[in-house]
Amino acid sequence: MPAFALPLELIAPVRLGYGTRPRSASADESADRLRRGGLKAWIDWQLAPDDRADAECLRRLAALRLPIKYGATPEREAVDEQRGLVTVAQPVEALWPVVIDNKAPGPERGRPRQELAAAQVTRAIWSNWGLRELMVDFWHGHFTVFGNEPRIAAALPSLDQVVRRQWAGNFRTLLEAVATNPAMLVYLNNRSSRAGSANENFARELFELHTLGRAAYLNALYNRWRDVPGAAQGQPQGYIDQDVYEAARAFTGWTIEDGQGLGGDRKLPQSGRFTYQEGWHDGYQKRVLATEFDPFQPPMADGRKVLDLVAFHPATARHLCLKLCRRLVGDAPSEALLAAAVETWTKTRSRPDQIAQVIRAIVLSPAFAQPGQPRVKRPLELVASFVRATGMEFTVTDRLLGELEASGQRLFTYPTPDGLPDEDAYWLGTNALRHRASLMLGIADNGFGTGGIDAGWTPPHLPADVAAAQWLDRLLPGGLAPDVRGRIGQAIAGGLGLAPGQPIGSAGKDTATIARRLPAYAALSAPFQYR
Amino acid sequence: MTHACALSRRALLGSLAAGGALAALPGVGRFALAGEPQERCLVVLFLRGGADGLMLVGPSAEAAYIADRPPEMRVLDSGDRKGLPLDHALDPRLDFRLHPELGPLAELYQAKQLAIIHAAGITDGTRSHFVAQDLIERGVAAEGDLAHAGSGWLTRLLGALPPRPGELVRAVCTSGSVDASLAGFGPALAAPDLNGGIGLYGGDPTRNVLAALYRTGDDPLSRSMRSAVGSLAGLDQRLRGPDGKVTPYQPENQASYDGAEAGRGLRVVAQLLKLEVGLTLAAIDMGGWDTHEGQPGRFANQAKQLGQALSAFWNDIARYHDRVTLVAVTEFGRRLRSNLSQGTDHGHAAPMLVLGGTVNGGRMYGRWPGLDADALDHGVDLAVTTDYRTVLAEIAQRRFGATPGVVFPGFTPPAPLGLLRA
Repeated sequence: MPAFALPLELIAPVRLGYGTRPRSASADESADRLRRGGLKAWIDWQLAPDDRADAECLRRLAALRLPIKYGATPEREAVDEQRGLVTVAQPVEALWPVVIDNKAPGPERGRPRQELAAAQVTRAIWSNWGLRELMVDFWHGHFTVFGNEPRIAAALPSLDQVVRRQWAGNFRTLLEAVATNPAMLVYLNNRSSRAGSANENFARELFELHTLGRAAYLNALYNRWRDVPGAAQGQPQGYIDQDVYEAARAFTGWTIEDGQGLGGDRKLPQSGRFTYQEGWHDGYQKRVLATEFDPFQPPMADGRKVLDLVAFHPATARHLCLKLCRRLVGDAPSEALLAAAVETWTKTRSRPDQIAQVIRAIVLSPAFAQPGQPRVKRPLELVASFVRATGMEFTVTDRLLGELEASGQRLFTYPTPDGLPDEDAYWLGTNALRHRASLMLGIADNGFGTGGIDAGWTPPHLPADVAAAQWLDRLLPGGLAPDVRGRIGQAIAGGLGLAPGQPIGSAGKDTATIARRLPAYAALSAPFQYR
Repeated sequence: MTHACALSRRALLGSLAAGGALAALPGVGRFALAGEPQERCLVVLFLRGGADGLMLVGPSAEAAYIADRPPEMRVLDSGDRKGLPLDHALDPRLDFRLHPELGPLAELYQAKQLAIIHAAGITDGTRSHFVAQDLIERGVAAEGDLAHAGSGWLTRLLGALPPRPGELVRAVCTSGSVDASLAGFGPALAAPDLNGGIGLYGGDPTRNVLAALYRTGDDPLSRSMRSAVGSLAGLDQRLRGPDGKVTPYQPENQASYDGAEAGRGLRVVAQLLKLEVGLTLAAIDMGGWDTHEGQPGRFANQAKQLGQALSAFWNDIARYHDRVTLVAVTEFGRRLRSNLSQGTDHGHAAPMLVLGGTVNGGRMYGRWPGLDADALDHGVDLAVTTDYRTVLAEIAQRRFGATPGVVFPGFTPPAPLGLLRA
């Protein structure tokens, strides 16, 4: 555990969002609200975001341009332009024609993912509603899809819209919205699942990743459903392969309009939208989680019944609450915290604000202030909290997105359905750490064209150790004792070859570089790296 | 390019098969007798997603195989897409064949450097990717053992070996993060490539600042940062020429790596081997095997990439064959019967591949349980007849002198398969 403890008013906005802006900035009232009203008032304010009160973020999203360039083809003219985020608000059918056209230029096919990633970083930095942004990221991780596949890229904006509607809503509602989203239907192959020999990919990950969780997979112990504890009472404690097989049958026919043949000359249209095909559905009786399904139910009723069973299962409450606690609080949450979250989850399971109530219960629990094991910030959290705390200019660029990717912060490009690992070890590999440093220093230097730190912010007459300590206090206002700041300042100055008390201006031609990078070096110290 | 590569490979493999004309090649003699235990390297190539073992190495003529799968989901024994036959002594009635895109593997097999252990895998019944991968990487038998396996099996193997003098990089992962098989081993290098060097932004001042900031501290970040700062600087220096520029890596023998995941990872391994930085273990990933849908085309593409990567690597490190053992493993095979998405769902056993200069190759090992209904695991999947740990423990013991029970706690291997000469 790191040898420092930061006060709650500094750490809460970081853990529950992406940090606050400096006190002087008017664009963000988060820090003042937290100081005046305490955590309770603050969390209620964050749980009811109002887009009208997010003008700066909306302005920046509207103004953002990313380059796109490709050569002429027989069907298309060459393009070399700066283009706005034109895809992020689009429904799947608007983006589908380009991605299914194999002759369409790659940059156009991949564009929705790129634009959404840029929007996500912009919002992380500029939105007043940091909690919403953090939770949107959480759900995108939980319901990971691989956005480098063009058909999935086309549906990513619609998946993002689903997550943005339900990020603090009802889990059962969110689950069905995701299960019927074209991005998920393509990614986990349910679109091609048919009666007779169903495709099990979605059903398996629905149990293992989206709902009950790996801890409730009892297959290693049981291969007969009656042996699962609780099965006789209709309340099995976990799931086995047979549940996966049967659930896969229940979802047959949940597909998308992607031109698949329907027999004879008939074909599905090409819109990319969800559709249910009764002809592909396995209508016979089923048994999922020790619950009997009658044969020949109305359209989609089998799948919806599975979603009810898994969404309301106690193992799901525990799995999701554990994930939420680990993300919002820290590793190894206490049993008391987890129990409080699970209780709220279960009690509010049919309410439209279930997830908001659970977040509230977690944040207002006494354990929130005493996390057992603080987590390392993810690179996006690090970048956003750094930009917010310094008050520097920042516009997302392609190069910045590339550097984030290299640091391990893959935005809609994680290759497997478990999503970005929620373990610190993932962010601490040699290369990830190397890119963590270059992210901070490159942003300060304007190395990615995002803006950069003004060297003039650090007067050259200041000794380097003093200036570094001052930057640390700006990054974490009042968070560290003067002697801790002083030691870190001296370590930074010493590393740069400057003795205590030696002014930055004495570094000759390196003066401006040091002045620009000093805030980044301060941000690379352990207190700013943890959340 | 491809043509030149194939010729060179044949030339090399021919000389190896002939038994050591290799020393006559320029620059090769120095290493021809290498392969001392302290110089050996093990490469674990993890085929993630559950590779369909029945399409990698298929029993082409087996009745149940033909009855249960359409032709495009099988390795065929005739026609233009017929598989590549493998000489074996498992059972004369069986006609095992490699997928037609695995030509380079057929050559390595014929050159007796590649061994195949079919129907291998975990004995636990899990069909979960993430549980099955964890079991293998932690080196345990059942899910219940995971709670007690704090470290990865490669970490335990490394712990059983003496340190090498002057070593800079003992273990490498090329997926970008540290593999679970190396969990608990702090100083593993995790880097997807070394093309641009591995320096720190800002050079020495940044290194000095980070070293000063993280000089002490026992938290995970401080420990990782110290180890990263130490290894990055030393390795980066080795990657650069006297002018400070990164020396572009030039594979030997016209070896041509493609840009795909496995090739990229193996290229890093070759590069580190030649830098002589003490590389002992490498954990390389190749994803994309989870073929629930559209398997015929996707699998062919995967097979091609796998063959290309192994062929490029083996060509490139011809001077090091006696020092290197590579094992390819997947978390599970796939269902015998295909689904209606032209794919296959999660199954059980699959082949393991072992490649090396001291491998008793050109042979198939293990016991083929058959695909008749009563021989299948749960009535649907190829049964496991060789515990994956039997293969890994034999390599650990034979190549590194490690005691099986230390690397795989609680595991007593059956009689050795005889995979390795040394």
